[in-house]
Amino acid sequence: MRPTGIWFSSFAAEARTLDTRRSRIWLAIGLAALVVLPLAGAPRLIGEMTNLYISLIAVCGLYVTVGMAGQINIAQSAFVGVGAFTTAKLSNLGVPVWIVIPAAALVTGGFSVLFALPAARVKGFYLALTTLAAQVMFPIVILALPMSWLGGLVGMPVMPPMLFGLNLGTPTGLYFLGLIFAALAVWTTYNLQASRIGRAFRAVHDNDSAAGVMGIPVTRIKIEAFFAGALYAGVAGAILAYMLQFVTVSSFTLFASVWYLGMLIVGGLHSPLGPILGVVFVTLAQDGLHNIGNAILQSGSGLGGGAVFAASSVVLGLCILAALIFEPRGLAHIWHQLMTAFRLWPFPQN
Amino acid sequence: MAATGKPILEARALGLKFGAVEALKDVSVRVEAGSVHALIGPNGAGKSSLLNCLSGFYHPWTGAVLFEGRDISATQPPERARLGIGRTFQGIQTYPSMTARENILSGFHIRMRGGVFAGLFRTPASVRQEEEMTARAEAIIDFLELEQDRHRVVGDMSYGLRKRVDLGRALALDPKVLVMDEPMAGMSPEEKGDLARFILDIRDHFGIPVVLVEHDMDVVMDISDRVTVLEFGHVIADGSPAEVTRDPRVIAAYLGGDAATEDAA
Repeated sequence: MRPTGIWFSSFAAEARTLDTRRSRIWLAIGLAALVVLPLAGAPRLIGEMTNLYISLIAVCGLYVTVGMAGQINIAQSAFVGVGAFTTAKLSNLGVPVWIVIPAAALVTGGFSVLFALPAARVKGFYLALTTLAAQVMFPIVILALPMSWLGGLVGMPVMPPMLFGLNLGTPTGLYFLGLIFAALAVWTTYNLQASRIGRAFRAVHDNDSAAGVMGIPVTRIKIEAFFAGALYAGVAGAILAYMLQFVTVSSFTLFASVWYLGMLIVGGLHSPLGPILGVVFVTLAQDGLHNIGNAILQSGSGLGGGAVFAASSVVLGLCILAALIFEPRGLAHIWHQLMTAFRLWPFPQN
Repeated sequence: MAATGKPILEARALGLKFGAVEALKDVSVRVEAGSVHALIGPNGAGKSSLLNCLSGFYHPWTGAVLFEGRDISATQPPERARLGIGRTFQGIQTYPSMTARENILSGFHIRMRGGVFAGLFRTPASVRQEEEMTARAEAIIDFLELEQDRHRVVGDMSYGLRKRVDLGRALALDPKVLVMDEPMAGMSPEEKGDLARFILDIRDHFGIPVVLVEHDMDVVMDISDRVTVLEFGHVIADGSPAEVTRDPRVIAAYLGGDAATEDAA
């Protein structure tokens, strides 16, 4: 809900994501803070933030497929892997970074269509199993291919991204690469939400038989939802590959796919704000638990590293469970409610 | 209101079976331009089956569905929407997570252009188109008096309002004929009155003929130009509301009177 006193003189002005001056100023301040962060931040913080940007890009993609179109996908990490291996292969062929990233997106998108075809026939639980098959098949296929293609068990080195003679493979370079594409991911997600195709995704999510009668080609839209979501995964994979400098199948696990889904659920499935809040919250929680775990390890309590790692996973799992039970609409919904309450204050909501 | 006599949508000798049950048997209906055409009958008479044959959910075993004289029996629902058959649903079939205006805008899907990349990057062409379609959606919002609720999420709305959004979405298809499945079911008398007024306005101002299945006889007799009565998958009467109410077989079907049935036979 918008506060009183805000009005628009054209539909285009109303449709803008940043519809008020205040929202544009806040965004500018936030982006400026993120741009100057590497000047002030410790190397570890820069690395953490780059990881956060990569997760954000992947989870924005998952929001498109799962949140908007309602097509469950537990293979996002495998799609990120496709983007990463495409990047490794192309960078070794000497392709420049500004071609590699879009190419990785398109290759991943094309690859996802292959696994989206079952979505035309199966729904819900069965679709989840189909995408699980994609996740499981990914390492098997890479390992089965000849070593010279994608490196097999050993993996593949990734050549550093060079742009106009500048090496973007440094921590700061990667930070900005991540920031730019994360901003692009968020912008495109908001665009999609209010577009013809985004409405078709959401219509298919809400009621696919009614959508069909309204002239929406349901099967095609489901496949396009996988394609669009995988574009993001391809970009995330490309930046991750440049960061890792060496890709192996063991980096793209079912575990990571489930985490991407967890971030999305904690953040919320019905607003593009969901991926942002979910990724930030879960990354901070992971980091916090990691620090606490380290402190416990060093305090000499006698607990092994394995136990602490397991315990932190259990705590994070409980966070997701709590989010599902207490607010299935996610942090984004809590945020919108707080904003509404703030605008209506001192009057009560409803 | 005088109908022009030209059939826009026609069912010709439809037959449909579910296992041993004959849902429709040799059913013919002609929906004429500029008319409100009601399909009535007791429970299980085959009204919804007939409606589903018209909108493409079911495909008849025998006979044909004709739209503007063309055989469309084999087409699927999305194609019928493109041809110009709009439809509203029994119960609630709106998109609950979207706002009223987004629901109506989604009805413009077939009139709009632009795929995944136009959506991702908000191309200038897609922005212009969005603005144009929003203006058209606002005209429908205006007609259905939904101004107060345009930005409300449909899942939070009352039943009557959701049905109105459903109607708005069907109108966004710019249909040449509107098919409504029990539009009044579960509505309060005030909501029924509003909807009856909207249906007559759709016929008179938009010039869109309306086919509806309805149980409320007062409403049917008030707003229909023509009524087709079904019983056990057969058409037992077809004519103006006044003719149909006098038909002894119709009286028998509704009141279960044996004497009337014998008379008619």
